Amino acid sequence: MRLYRSLPAALAIALLSGSFVAPPARAADSGPVKIAVITDMSGVYASLAGAGAVEATKMAVEDFGGKVLGRPIEVETIDHRNNGPDAAIKAREAFDGGADLALDMTNSAVALAVAAVAKEKHKIAIVTGGASSALTGANCNRYTYHYAYDTYALAHSTGSNIASASNGKTWYALVANYAFGQQMLSDFTAAIEDKGGKVQKADLYPFGPTTDFSSYLLAAKNSGAQVLGLFNAGADTVNAMKQAKQFGVDKTMKIAVGLLFLSDVDALPDVFAGSRITTSWYWNYDKQARAWADKYAKRMNGLRPTDIQASDYSAAWQWLSAVKAVGSTDADKIQQYLDGRQFNDFYARGGEWRARDHRVLHEMYVVDVLPKEQVKEPHAWFKVVQVIPPGRAFRPESQSVCKKDW
Amino acid sequence: MTLALLGSRRGMTVAIVLAIVGALLPWFVYPVLAIDIVAYALFAVAFDLLLGFTGLLSFGHAMFWGGAGYVATILIAKAGAPFPVAVAAALVYAALSAVVVGVIAIRRQGIYFAMITLALAQLQYFVAFQLGDWTGGENGVQVSSRGTLFGIRLDDDKVFYYAVLVVAALGVWFVVRVVRSPFGSVLGAMRENEQRAIALGFRVDRYKLVAFVLSGTLAGLAGVLFAVGNRLSGLDGVDWHTSGKVVIMTILGGIGTVFGPLVGAGVYESLDYFVSKTPIGDKTNIVMGTIFALCVLLFRRGIVGELLALRTKRAKD
Amino acid sequence: MALGLSVIFGMLRIVNFAHGAMFMLGAFVAYYGAQLFHLPFYAALVFAPVVVGVFGLLVEVAFLRRLYGLDPLYGLLFTFALVLIIEDAMRLAAGALGSPYSAPPSLAGVTNLGFTVFPTYRLFVIGAAIAVCAVVWFVLERTPVGARIRAATEAPTLVRALGIDTQRLVSITFAVGVALAALAGVLAAPNQNVEPTMGDKIIINTFAIVVIGGLGSIGGSVITGFAIGLLQTLGAVIFPAFNDTLIFLVMIVVLLIRPSGLFGSPASAK
Repeated sequence: MRLYRSLPAALAIALLSGSFVAPPARAADSGPVKIAVITDMSGVYASLAGAGAVEATKMAVEDFGGKVLGRPIEVETIDHRNNGPDAAIKAREAFDGGADLALDMTNSAVALAVAAVAKEKHKIAIVTGGASSALTGANCNRYTYHYAYDTYALAHSTGSNIASASNGKTWYALVANYAFGQQMLSDFTAAIEDKGGKVQKADLYPFGPTTDFSSYLLAAKNSGAQVLGLFNAGADTVNAMKQAKQFGVDKTMKIAVGLLFLSDVDALPDVFAGSRITTSWYWNYDKQARAWADKYAKRMNGLRPTDIQASDYSAAWQWLSAVKAVGSTDADKIQQYLDGRQFNDFYARGGEWRARDHRVLHEMYVVDVLPKEQVKEPHAWFKVVQVIPPGRAFRPESQSVCKKDW
Repeated sequence: MTLALLGSRRGMTVAIVLAIVGALLPWFVYPVLAIDIVAYALFAVAFDLLLGFTGLLSFGHAMFWGGAGYVATILIAKAGAPFPVAVAAALVYAALSAVVVGVIAIRRQGIYFAMITLALAQLQYFVAFQLGDWTGGENGVQVSSRGTLFGIRLDDDKVFYYAVLVVAALGVWFVVRVVRSPFGSVLGAMRENEQRAIALGFRVDRYKLVAFVLSGTLAGLAGVLFAVGNRLSGLDGVDWHTSGKVVIMTILGGIGTVFGPLVGAGVYESLDYFVSKTPIGDKTNIVMGTIFALCVLLFRRGIVGELLALRTKRAKD
Repeated sequence: MALGLSVIFGMLRIVNFAHGAMFMLGAFVAYYGAQLFHLPFYAALVFAPVVVGVFGLLVEVAFLRRLYGLDPLYGLLFTFALVLIIEDAMRLAAGALGSPYSAPPSLAGVTNLGFTVFPTYRLFVIGAAIAVCAVVWFVLERTPVGARIRAATEAPTLVRALGIDTQRLVSITFAVGVALAALAGVLAAPNQNVEPTMGDKIIINTFAIVVIGGLGSIGGSVITGFAIGLLQTLGAVIFPAFNDTLIFLVMIVVLLIRPSGLFGSPASAK
């Protein structure tokens, strides 16, 4: 008799196990100002953003004085684990729990998911690490800003830079056949043709980690093109680069990598040496950048910040300044304050919060990845070869497809 | 043993307890997470119909879960379809694809069956990837408004949760009915000894196919609830890791017990979510993997299975 | 990879989901060997399989043994759980990005084959793979140990009745199968990114190959492995869009026509 009563109880306990969390109380307007850093703490983007992004945000909060409008500032870390629905739930919870800003969202799917939540909850979301230009295009919304880089900027910086030179006119493109790769291809093609160049051949390979690029690389070699463009990301880029060197492609062609970060080169310096890429910021670019990078290095054991981590500091700082200026954390007021505003800091040179589509403009840098022998100090992998002014780096307003509803 | 449980007063008690737990869940847990738990619970029960009651291990069930999710969200987001229409269309998709997959896969048994389902699921994954214009590729499909059902607006998370709960409860009830029906008895007989069933004149393949289609369609229903609940469908839904996840949930809860998968799903989802928020959050996969490994090694009957066995043993004393 | 998986299935009737993870471990052992002891590539080719083989042996003795009498489902599920654990552990240890590993200088560069230039390292891999498969085939077909293994695969009870210690054979077979995966991992390391999930894609393809070749047919797996490899490379040139799905389409067609795979025997069809 006792037993069958305990069975349903046992089941109930089993079902609820781990589920016992009271929903957090909504923070009143006098509670702390909260920044939720939604980043990848343990996966492929952990070095690019991750703990470093959280640290950078905390640095911004501390430098700001730890308080704004008389209220303390809290930084909350949320691991999105590269899972869109999961990130959206955690973002909702964060907003309901009093978060006023969602920051980072390194991973395009996560960025889009959180942007939708931000719109619904009327809270500001600043995407630094996500690449998709849809954030300022088809998926633009009133409360989301795209801060660091996007596919258009990458293509038009690297593409224009290389195609301007006489030995960079003809291209062979190795393209991962999914949205990101296709977008890169079309953006790069436009930039290249703009400079009188031509994509001689573009091979779109089916996406899903591809490990063997031999047939494509042979095709690249035989095409006689001057430049090899790698329009893919992650493990694909690594594999393609490794194999390109195996086939000796790097000896006869210039290699342009669509998307690459300092952290990637830290992990695999030999693989990426000799390629040309675009970044939104480089720690050793000038004294101002370096000064901040030194502060970061002190807290992070000598590690140097990636552009995304720097952008998190910059975005957090700018947002806090806006809160102070507006006198509240109300998202509508902040959005009105930011739209169209120009600013400058160590990260965003010539910065502007573009009102048309919430694309944040700033300088971009075309850099070469140096081989180990030429690197003068740890992590100093890049050499800036061209600075692209904000007006030219990003998609012009006239071409924006954002259906502005604010 | 399980069937006896289902028919008895004890079964009713269990059902009532679960219903109460279900009703109160969104007050204890974030509503969208609650939706996820219930959706996965239905998914696991549907899966168990195939695994526990028919004896077929499918390693590609995510194709119904995710595929139906895609259909529903694409219709709502891009065609502005009303919620009931989207659900109906998604169910049709799930059923049809289950028929196709079933016809191809059921000729084989055991590991071959599992491999074929995996292969077909992978095919669907790649197709979903390639059709980026419809499925949004890596970024997935976002739905801004869930629409209305019988005039009730579904955008409030708690409201939608109760809709999900009702639908899931109906789904589970349906599975119980199937299992306790003559059809279900034949399935059980087939599972025990297929040769004998054939000798008795049963068209075994037909039964398997029907079971497969029922399982797939219900899995699709669960997938729609999940996708619309999260206002998002994406490649994770059709990824083989998701197929693996539902296998884990079912085993964790107990194969062949109707309530087992429910419990398994609840425990797994809650654990996964809350562990990931703790300081050891980045080791979540190891924790889940270890729990699963222990289950397979030691607690093969799953939570509910072990509890039931305990009860029977004690009753005998 | 296919060889190892096939041997394990034939002997233990366990579908080793963790085979891809073993592949990955092989690559990482080579990497750590190089980092910590300056282990040269050629030494890694021997060292890594041994290390991973021993690891496999421990897993078999400690865990897999308990699952033999049961539905093969459980073996598969356990190895699936192993994948989660091993991959995540590696991720914590090495990070998700990738660890550098290159071919030895003696194999770097390209060789002129007349009709094309081809990376020397890849020629080495092809040669090594063929050599290893040949050696394993020889051991299985022409040596007493091999005969015992094959017998134990076909008729385990009979073999036990004859007094031969099947348990030891089983453990050794698993260890060897896993070591083969690790060897593949070392060979792959210079070609691709060495990171924790590198086994994910190859395991799915390996399953498909073994299924197409016929579970339990070792020769079948090897031949199918090479054939599929060829097909995929050609496919990349002829119809790239479907390349990844090609292998599954082939599998489905083959299984519909010849349910036990191309070279498999109906006895192994369950």
